[in-house]
Amino acid sequence: MTAVKSTRNRGAAVTGLGVIAPNGVGTDAFWKATREGIASLDQISREGSEHFPVRIGGQVRGFDPGSMIEERFLVQTDRFTHFAMASADLALDDAKLPVGDMSPFAVGVVTAAGSGGGEFGQRELQQLYGKGPRYVGPYQSIAWFYAASTGQVSIRGGFKGPCGVVANDEAGGLDALAHARRSIRRGADAVVAGASEASLAPYSIVCMLGWDEVSRARDAGRAYLPFTEDACGFAPGEGGAMLVVEEEGAARRRGVRIRGFIAGYGSTFTGPSRWERSREGLAQAIRVALEDAECAPEEIDVVFADALGVPEADRAEALAIADALGPHGTRVPVTAPKTGFGRVHCAAPTLDVVAALLSMEHRVVPPTPYVTDVCHDLDLVTRSSRPAEPRTALVLSRGLMGCNAALVLRGPEGDY
Amino acid sequence: MSSQLSYAELATLMKRCAGLTVDPDLMRTRPDSTFEEYGLDSLGLLAIVGELENRYGTPIEPGAESCKTPGDFLDVINTSLTSGA
Repeated sequence: MTAVKSTRNRGAAVTGLGVIAPNGVGTDAFWKATREGIASLDQISREGSEHFPVRIGGQVRGFDPGSMIEERFLVQTDRFTHFAMASADLALDDAKLPVGDMSPFAVGVVTAAGSGGGEFGQRELQQLYGKGPRYVGPYQSIAWFYAASTGQVSIRGGFKGPCGVVANDEAGGLDALAHARRSIRRGADAVVAGASEASLAPYSIVCMLGWDEVSRARDAGRAYLPFTEDACGFAPGEGGAMLVVEEEGAARRRGVRIRGFIAGYGSTFTGPSRWERSREGLAQAIRVALEDAECAPEEIDVVFADALGVPEADRAEALAIADALGPHGTRVPVTAPKTGFGRVHCAAPTLDVVAALLSMEHRVVPPTPYVTDVCHDLDLVTRSSRPAEPRTALVLSRGLMGCNAALVLRGPEGDY
Repeated sequence: MSSQLSYAELATLMKRCAGLTVDPDLMRTRPDSTFEEYGLDSLGLLAIVGELENRYGTPIEPGAESCKTPGDFLDVINTSLTSGA
């Protein structure tokens, strides 16, 4: 970590991507499935979860935590932290960050989580009321909190730089990246940043039953259809995405491939489930993010939508895009790959950020699986991916509790 | 079940409560090596004490959870079990 006089010059470059998602374990598998619009929603089948009214979700399959994480960390942590540790490893490997040569105080960690360690917590609470307090393990004290992933990624990697946790609803997945960018400006050399969730276990699913926005559809093909007349809520998903965000100068000096830049960010609050009002909040978040990025609306080449799948919310989002981007809002390609694998709460927009960066890298906009007939004035990319040359991407997120956020990403050659 | 805790049993508990694979012979020949060297943190040691209290149905005397070495820990536990028996 170095003392900084001119903070504006310290750009936040993304140099590593790590993904554990329902449609793919590993960034390459995730991107291949996303680009091809592979539909991965299915009946929720985790033990004890089969008989709830919420039937369809995006489960991570083919992920063996023991193959990626030491047993001592597995014992202490919930599945959502397994996702965070594994995706952090993938991102660090991808970035080839020379951790051994860096001061431990130069590298920070920031994560977001909305659901926390529900599965671990449920097990210990069952011990509590089934056998008594003496049978609750001490790791309960750290495993089920939202902060667990930041703590364990920090401990495991020896990262002693600026660490934080943002508990801010789904939009937290973007807030974490904005936080990382702020840490870079303030002098950190690198930040491991992202979000993960493992909410497809009984306790966490029961928590969702109070939300009208969660789809009760029984058919995977009908469960999550945002921007259509059949919209009936969203299908939940699990997984995580972590990124290595690095000071641009440091990244350039060591010659690593830069995947893109976190260029602008804005956030607002408009109240829980006040979807009509989210129009104004989301539009304002976009305006702030554009101004922060010194980006004109016409420069946005692709929008990764929040795509809640609730008619009122979808309308508000379509109008917000039009409000903030003007006539360009009806022409710019909009996509929501999350319909293919579910809305991974805080990690939903983080996965979108990874998809947006890869979209710029591979010059293609991935489609919105399951969705065909769009009933809003949006150019939603459906059915198959669309060749394009996006250089600037806008990622949107809204939380069920009323937070709205927008993040502007620039491609590696872009002026950030 | 023996009323005295052995290094082998301690190794088993370290595996079960904290996910650590430790050679009991290593602890036996080096009783003054530290739990920290084996990767056992304070919460892990607390879990082991809790497990022993449940197993023996008796409170372990205070201080066991702050022992730094396997040798000290076995001394405290076995003294506690003997005096409590």
